[in-house]
Amino acid sequence: MVIFGASGDLTQRKLVPALFYLARERLLPAEFTVIGCSKTPYTHERFRQKMQKALKEFSSLSAGDESLLESFTKGLFYISEDFSSAQAYGKLVEFLEQMDRERGTGGNRLFYLSTPPSFFPVIVQHLGATGLTRPKFPGKSWTRIVIEKPFGRDFESAERLSRTVTSVFEEKQVYRIDHYLGKETVQNLLVFRFSNGVFEPVWNRRYIDHVQITVAEELGVEKRGAYYEEAGLVRDMIQNHVVQLMSLVAMEPPATFDSTAVRDEKAKLMRAIRSMPRDQLDQSAVRGQYAAGWVGGQKVPAYRSEPGVSPASTTETYAALKLYIDNWRWAGVPFYLRSGKRLSKQVSKILIQFQRVPHLLFRGSGADSIEPNVLALRIQPNEGIALTIGAKLPGATMQIRPVKMEFRYAESFGAEPATAYETLLLDCMLGDQTLFNREDAVELAWEFLDPVLTRWKEDGPKGLSFYEAGSWGPAEADSLIEREGRHWRRP
Amino acid sequence: MLRSCALTLVVYVEDEAAGREVNDLISEVMRENPCRAIVVTAERDAAPAGLSARISARCTFPAAGEKEICCEQVMITARGEAIAGLDHVVIPLMVPGLPVYLWWRAGRFSPPPSLRPILRAATRVLVDSATFPEPQVDLQNFSGHVRELAGEVVFTDLNWGRLTPWRELVAQCFDSVETRPYLDRLTEVQIEYEDLSNGARVQRGQSLLLAGWLASRLGWEPARESVEGSRIGQPFLLRAGGRSIRIECRPRRCQTEFAGTCVSVALKSGGDSPAEFSLARGSGVNTATTRMEISGRPPIERVVRLEPLEEVRLVNEEIKFAGRDRVYEEALAMVAGMTAPGA
Repeated sequence: MVIFGASGDLTQRKLVPALFYLARERLLPAEFTVIGCSKTPYTHERFRQKMQKALKEFSSLSAGDESLLESFTKGLFYISEDFSSAQAYGKLVEFLEQMDRERGTGGNRLFYLSTPPSFFPVIVQHLGATGLTRPKFPGKSWTRIVIEKPFGRDFESAERLSRTVTSVFEEKQVYRIDHYLGKETVQNLLVFRFSNGVFEPVWNRRYIDHVQITVAEELGVEKRGAYYEEAGLVRDMIQNHVVQLMSLVAMEPPATFDSTAVRDEKAKLMRAIRSMPRDQLDQSAVRGQYAAGWVGGQKVPAYRSEPGVSPASTTETYAALKLYIDNWRWAGVPFYLRSGKRLSKQVSKILIQFQRVPHLLFRGSGADSIEPNVLALRIQPNEGIALTIGAKLPGATMQIRPVKMEFRYAESFGAEPATAYETLLLDCMLGDQTLFNREDAVELAWEFLDPVLTRWKEDGPKGLSFYEAGSWGPAEADSLIEREGRHWRRP
Repeated sequence: MLRSCALTLVVYVEDEAAGREVNDLISEVMRENPCRAIVVTAERDAAPAGLSARISARCTFPAAGEKEICCEQVMITARGEAIAGLDHVVIPLMVPGLPVYLWWRAGRFSPPPSLRPILRAATRVLVDSATFPEPQVDLQNFSGHVRELAGEVVFTDLNWGRLTPWRELVAQCFDSVETRPYLDRLTEVQIEYEDLSNGARVQRGQSLLLAGWLASRLGWEPARESVEGSRIGQPFLLRAGGRSIRIECRPRRCQTEFAGTCVSVALKSGGDSPAEFSLARGSGVNTATTRMEISGRPPIERVVRLEPLEEVRLVNEEIKFAGRDRVYEEALAMVAGMTAPGA
């Protein structure tokens, strides 16, 4: 496995710990080798030490893991080169050959792009030029590439990146990773929908009033101010994680659980998302930016005061969208999506609100308003599923109170679920693309988000709302949902 | 063991001692209403500013063959400036999808700005007007809060809960077809509340609420020309059509220890057939006597059970309800109207 951008945060926080867990579970072959590539001048030994330190810091090691750690880090190597120049790839080819000889890696290659996105096309083109994109032993070995988000910054750049990638790789070699799809609860969404006979019959416009998807972060932009200024919330979270969650909630049942069938259905769903007309955008999209406030009892600065951020920045750190899916199943059912930084709570949750009962049987008995049933799918933290139902309070009067039927992963299954990167890296090595994004889905997501981003860019500060850090976002986002008689539910 | 939670109960207090006191009460609330309790101690003038929190589990000893039920409790203390960020700490801790009750246990109702979002997130806000230091002024202000936040926040009052049996018993006097017409002939109401023998000032909020309830239910309006009722010991004057009604709330010394609670209420009608309907607490604390005296008939008297209601029981009762208590809101608005300067 060749990691470009190996001196970065992702490698030490996520990739190497995930690989270590896989090794610990005996899911990796003894020959498995990691080659870290980056400009930072490390030696093999220095890289190993750094990764060992990171593993101790970012992963949960058990007693007796020391010797495993020692053995695992022996398989880590490092090439210090500027990978935007062709010369570096000659060295890489040589080193890969050497590894095949010395460690018996058998010619299988997994390239992982963990660099800033501007390097993606350069690296891909160089890999193509040096012939590294083709399997070393056709039919006996494989070569794959994993691309981290963002896949472009708009439709045009996504399409361009796609053309570059597919000019040297076949689509079946390309794994566009969105770590959200590797989460146990996200995968469980498909299991929940398609292996329980009781839910699928009511999973449509006849029974569902609306859907809310919240992906909220307590953290601000931390040290990523400069990156965030370029990206913004929609590119960072909505275009990928939130849209992926929405497509899994709303897609039609695939015929089989294989990568083509699942990804076909997701793409079909995304084609059905109604585009947001520019002149009516204010009715369906709200953007916000965090002002100073309090989070967890600590005073935190405004986005504009974060390092690397312009004091007059109009970059959004919050977005709320109302989308409609124009198909037989979802006609007229709004999907409210919201995501933001410096919000009240770190939580990712999908809430399916069912329609109220058609006739209020208990009117006048003190139970004049009955809460609708809500199905909550908690992606993180406290992964699980809860269904809220109305129950009679014990006593002489007819009082109805919402109560919860709850399933918690941590309580029902003793074992710790695999981390998202573990799942996805293993799938990638096994050649299963089901949980990875296909080219068409990426482009379709940009297609309906592009008008929003273009309009916001043109508007500059006009229409940008501010919200206190630690709150649930700007008041305008409340109006977005409240003008239709609904409200954001506390996630 | 079963982790159980049917609601979130946020308790707001303003000093450490009150926080400790509430801890004992919470375990009793949890017995009837398994919940996640969040006890917020906001020490407004304390220094240095800061925030601390700890969590614990409260478990009940199970009866044989039953599961042990455990509830979660979070204690948050905010000092000085840190109070400004309280909402951002408390709201994320509320259990999603379940009702939230906020129990204001800090005397006069004067929430800091950071409590507003918590109030709005609450299904119901419980206050106890018996703890208002200046009931007449504080009830006025509280009525203002209730009016201002109507539609957003639902309030309820434990002191109103204490009056529930009183209201039931008074209403029962007029259940029959024969006695009901007397409601339209009432001209005088006397409410006595318990005073302390040591001469300390005792609040009469409960008697005011009882008066407000009668006036609002029976469509009486405060008479504009009178300012008398705003001073203790002087009657309120009200009108209904051409009829004047005088309501008097006066203190009475008792041997018991329930200062401020109602001791008796008497409703009198004039005209050709005078009548008096009264309810008086007995010399013990657990009974009361109702008496109906209608001219030309022998009086009807009965002894009924009337126990003092403890705070926890009142809280548990209020937690059963979710919607607005319009009868209370109207009674409170009437108290505000009756006691307003110039009323």
